[in-house]
Amino acid sequence: MPAAFSGKRPGRRLLLLCLSLSLSVGSPADPTMTPQDASQSQVNSLTKMQGGLNESTPEPTTTTRTANWQTQGSPSDHLTLGHNVSIPALLRPDLTTQEFKQAAKENVSNVTFVEYEVLLPGVSGTSVEKNITLDSAAGIELSCRLDNKYSHLKSLQVTWKRGNETIRHINKTENSWSIQLWILDNSKLGSYSCTLKGEEEISAVFLLQVPKIEGREKPIISYEGDTAVMICKSFGYTPIAWTWYMTNGSEQIAINDSLLADKYVINRISASVTHLKILKLTKEDDGVYWCEAAFELGKSKGKLQLKVLSLMVPLKPFLAIVAEVVILVTIVFLYEIYSKKKEKRAGDEKEFDQVEQLKSEESNGLENSSARHRRV
Amino acid sequence: MPGSPLTPCVPPNSWTPGSPQTPGSPRPPGCPRHPPGGWGVLGGAFLQAALVSGGVRAMGLCLRPLGGAFGARAGAVAWVGSAPLAALQLGGPLGSALSTRFGARPVAMIGGVLSGLGLFLGAFATHLTHLYLSVGLLAGLGWALVFTPSLGTVGRYFPTRRSLATGLVVSGASVSGLALGPLIPLLLDTYGWRGALLLLAAITFNLVAAGALLRPLPIPNESPGPPQDQPGLVGLLRHGPFLRYALAFVLVDVGYYVPFVHGAARAHEVGCDQRRVALVMAAMAGVDGGGRVVAGWLAARPATPLLRHLFVWVALTGLTALVLPLGTSFEGLLTLALTYGFCAGALVPLQFAGVAEVVGTGRLIHAIGLMQMFESFGSLLGAPFAGWLRDVTGNYTVSFLAAGAFLLAGSLLILTLPGFFQGKEGSPAPPPDDPEPPPDPPPAPPRAALDPAV
Repeated sequence: MPAAFSGKRPGRRLLLLCLSLSLSVGSPADPTMTPQDASQSQVNSLTKMQGGLNESTPEPTTTTRTANWQTQGSPSDHLTLGHNVSIPALLRPDLTTQEFKQAAKENVSNVTFVEYEVLLPGVSGTSVEKNITLDSAAGIELSCRLDNKYSHLKSLQVTWKRGNETIRHINKTENSWSIQLWILDNSKLGSYSCTLKGEEEISAVFLLQVPKIEGREKPIISYEGDTAVMICKSFGYTPIAWTWYMTNGSEQIAINDSLLADKYVINRISASVTHLKILKLTKEDDGVYWCEAAFELGKSKGKLQLKVLSLMVPLKPFLAIVAEVVILVTIVFLYEIYSKKKEKRAGDEKEFDQVEQLKSEESNGLENSSARHRRV
Repeated sequence: MPGSPLTPCVPPNSWTPGSPQTPGSPRPPGCPRHPPGGWGVLGGAFLQAALVSGGVRAMGLCLRPLGGAFGARAGAVAWVGSAPLAALQLGGPLGSALSTRFGARPVAMIGGVLSGLGLFLGAFATHLTHLYLSVGLLAGLGWALVFTPSLGTVGRYFPTRRSLATGLVVSGASVSGLALGPLIPLLLDTYGWRGALLLLAAITFNLVAAGALLRPLPIPNESPGPPQDQPGLVGLLRHGPFLRYALAFVLVDVGYYVPFVHGAARAHEVGCDQRRVALVMAAMAGVDGGGRVVAGWLAARPATPLLRHLFVWVALTGLTALVLPLGTSFEGLLTLALTYGFCAGALVPLQFAGVAEVVGTGRLIHAIGLMQMFESFGSLLGAPFAGWLRDVTGNYTVSFLAAGAFLLAGSLLILTLPGFFQGKEGSPAPPPDDPEPPPDPPPAPPRAALDPAV
């Protein structure tokens, strides 16, 4: 089993197998975790993995999943961790128990441990960035790996930092370095960077953040007296709660739909979709609205804009076009009457000419016949 | 004396008992090339094709904001888009019957008022059912009352160049389709869906002006007489060739719309990004219009066997649909989409002009209406069936193969029509061009008279 975690990326199925085996065997550190919980956490980490993979990153990255935080590598590797209390040294059984108990206290029953790895490009000056979205408490391992073709670079000094604070890291392999973090609340989010200093400086930044909420860029158009429905979605993550705000001047006021039940209706359509219905719109309802999703690790807002128009606004172009139609129809009929009259006049003239011709033919014929008579 | 305003000017190609059926025979001297008002009819019918087709398409494009406003599920809202199309096609016979009784012009104008009214009422809807009734039923009915009379009038006004005229007219649908792409989102963003419906209603009222242009044909033996609708329609239902023709186009309609409806999704499937998808769909719509005009022009020359042209275009459309799944790159898909769009557009004017070949000018309006009604079964089933196939098999290959198969089946039915193999000279004369056709027109005697080989 240790071979599965020797630093090479294990196959997923193997991982699942190992995980289920290790956790079902039971361990001193998790008296409360049952095999069902284990599989649940597997499922959770799988889905979160997919959520994480949805972000597009420019550089080729590899993201693997390690869910067993008990037996990772051989003990000897991790003795180098030292006793720096700023990193929870997860791999030491006593601290592990402590951390787990702390997590259990904070009511995180399906804790997952996800590994994110970035492949460094090897070109100095460029900084690689990876966005990681987290909605609930998790254990994270961030690692920076240098591509094998650059392993000739010697004497590299590796630092992991958050802001100005340096974090002790582990040498996972000879050219990859990682840190492990428990993200349990909002204060732990932010940007973490790894820097490799040799002849050149190569760095990568991991940005840990709560899921983003999408509002609507284009304003929603509605009319006075009408009902407007505003929709906010959170993709892939389930917020604990939704709150809607309206802006009054420069402040944001929360909308209490039980207080103003005949004006506002807030519906949670599904786990990740919320509707705000505003009834009997007036001009004052025009403006910017915010939907805020609360996650375990923080809050995230989406912006929507509502425009309330009066019916006069489209009515003017409407009447203009209807007037144009009436004018067109009149022109068509007038032209038809005119052209019919023209035809009739032309017809009358032709008829007149024909009658004249007939008359003259007749008279000619009569003369001819009388002439013939005379000849004969 | 022929040609004088006193005696009626009988257009060539109309068959009166005793006169030889010779298309392309020299016009009686003094007879105008087309009856007066012909250009007006063309313009009016072009406008009507643009507005009817545009109106139906616009409803489809407005569906998302409508659904959002009423908080309804996609399936329920989709009916607002398909109900007007269904009403348009199923109402075909009604349009024919009414226009034969009262004349094309009044019926078309009333249809314009009804469709505009339907959209107008839809703008004030407070519930989804209001939309079904106003936009779906009322506007759809109005469109049905405009569509068949217009096409029928075009057919009667241009007996010698029927397919070119029809091609020019139906190309209006492509023009409006291309214009709607940017127009509808603009309307929705500026005025919301209520305002957009209001303005669409105003634009639809232009159908009244289009209808006004359908001047009644000043030929006595073509004037709308006492109610003929029952005998006319019932007679058509017993007319073998017409039934085969209508069935052919039921099959065609099952396959026809599939690439148009599912094309964007297919382009996504093979990996095109949003911009390229839009390009493919717009290109297909553009050549559709071109195909309509070109095919109409090609088939409009006097001695052309129209049914053969129709067969060729339908068969080509079917073959292209069969080959469509092979388009797995952007360039390949684009080429095939262009070909499909062109052929699909080409068969439209020939379909309507061909009706006159099969049943004659006198019952043209009835036949178009009845054919539309039959077609509605095909078109309403086709795209959902293709979607179901895709869900079952995982991609669109089988859907397009099925569409192509239906199109080819329709083309094979066209082969069985009487006028097909004998060419125009020896073809049996279409039943008499008067508004009182006998319930069972006897094709045998004229055929025997004209084709000694039979």
